[in-house]
Amino acid sequence: MEQIKVFLDESEMPRQWYNIQADLPTPLRPPLHPGTGQPIKAEDLAPVFPMNLIEQEVSTERWISIPEPVLEKYALWRPTPLYRARGLEKALGTPAKIFYKNEGVSPPGSHKPNTAVAQAYYNKVFGIKRLSTETGAGQWGSALSMACQMFGLQCRVFMVKVSYNQKPYRRSMMETWGAECIPSPSDRTQTGRKILAEHPDSPGSLGIAISEAIEDAVGDPHARYSLGSVLNHVLLHQTIIGLEAQKQMEKLGLYPDVVMGCAGGGSNFAGLCLPFVRDKIHGRNVTIVAAEPTSCPTLTKGPFRYDFGDTAMTTPLLAMHTLGHDFVPAPIHAGGLRYHGMAPIVSHLLEEKLIEARAFDQVETFTAGVQWARAEGFVPAPETNHAIAAVVQEALRAKEEGKEKVILFNWSGHGYVDMSAYDAFLSGKLTRYELPEEEIRRALAATDAFPKP
Amino acid sequence: MENHDILVRMDALETRCPKLGHQVPFGYCRKESGALPCSKALVCWSHRLPVELVLRKFLGDEAYEAVFNGTPKSRIQVLLEAIEAAKERCGTASDRP
Repeated sequence: MEQIKVFLDESEMPRQWYNIQADLPTPLRPPLHPGTGQPIKAEDLAPVFPMNLIEQEVSTERWISIPEPVLEKYALWRPTPLYRARGLEKALGTPAKIFYKNEGVSPPGSHKPNTAVAQAYYNKVFGIKRLSTETGAGQWGSALSMACQMFGLQCRVFMVKVSYNQKPYRRSMMETWGAECIPSPSDRTQTGRKILAEHPDSPGSLGIAISEAIEDAVGDPHARYSLGSVLNHVLLHQTIIGLEAQKQMEKLGLYPDVVMGCAGGGSNFAGLCLPFVRDKIHGRNVTIVAAEPTSCPTLTKGPFRYDFGDTAMTTPLLAMHTLGHDFVPAPIHAGGLRYHGMAPIVSHLLEEKLIEARAFDQVETFTAGVQWARAEGFVPAPETNHAIAAVVQEALRAKEEGKEKVILFNWSGHGYVDMSAYDAFLSGKLTRYELPEEEIRRALAATDAFPKP
Repeated sequence: MENHDILVRMDALETRCPKLGHQVPFGYCRKESGALPCSKALVCWSHRLPVELVLRKFLGDEAYEAVFNGTPKSRIQVLLEAIEAAKERCGTASDRP
């Protein structure tokens, strides 16, 4: 029987996180304070983060030791196995060798606890009693709930109301781990009360939940705020994924030609890829791909390829066929990705041409996810499906070229608490186009008298 | 009535929200920021609806331009602005550990 899993012993778990800021060809530009326009200082973040995490945020040390209590908690599910996706290889008929890090084996089922546990620990040693955060579908909220429980911290999660109502089991998970899960907007904060006064039926938004969580933390000297993506220290904690993967690939005597991960806020992508970016900086020939969601119009057209020319990522995407004529995307089409929270480090790597990004439509990603589940058994998280879509595309390209490429990707989490998304896909709710444009134009013509905001 | 039905059907169409991580109807995206749409509405809906046409109609050109042609805020900018706003609401906590 061919080997399909590579394990590391607990004693082989990396003892340090890797900080890419030490190796960047050009330094990361600090974010500017919205009030002063000057680079942010430690004190700007101090109201919401403990100083030990702020120090990590700005650190340029290459290796940062993982505290023993964090390693002890990691050992509950780490090192995670490296799998070879032989089922998918066969299904695609590709000569490529496809490997994946299975981050779905953590208790909440994703990579998120790699930083949640670390953040809970650092807040604990700083004397903090309670953490506050926001969550949408609940992956981050459940990871932080578990981590807080592990270190005896209280946890308050502001969950966007529309998600709170749609994702009851994520909420149950948080409460099972002892967290308080509050639908946002809530009456717990001035922000929430103001919105409820104006819009009593507000379904909430991520922006509102962020504001509530931050206000909640700032208003309590014993509380701090926690963020599960985007920030440098979050990406730092996630690098344990890539560091383990390097050791596991080494055991096989292989090195990946292509490394891939899905990128929303950038933390799981960075977790796997940053150690390989380091290799690339030092001369290794490896292609590193971030797979993102976007409104790609057709399967046959293939993914968008972004080549951002500046940190603001204002380079337009390829034109999309939307209104039946040449549609020139507004700047928001590129910048919107940034709003969702692409990590500055990931943006910087794009600018430096050390990584590339490809975008996939939701139908394409769910198609890949279902193909994966049927070939490999595990049901992926919908976010993970973006990476799988990229892998499928790369493996088919290898087939066309007749190349035995080695592909490594981050299987960032399972989808067992996201089956409603699969329901939507399998029942055809996520099809590409349902209403004829002409009908919509006619209907809109009847709205001329509508009040404008 | 027929026109109204089409608008209702349009609002009921679902897509996966990359910010929240689950399906949301177009009606949610159209009013995600109070009376204004989510800044990602164009990206998320262009492949399914003549979304620019729809949102311009509902918003008017001026509001549309303000929402979609401004410089988008990064997550860190959002975070910093929220910190400043919270400090104003709560008073700067000088007794923090």
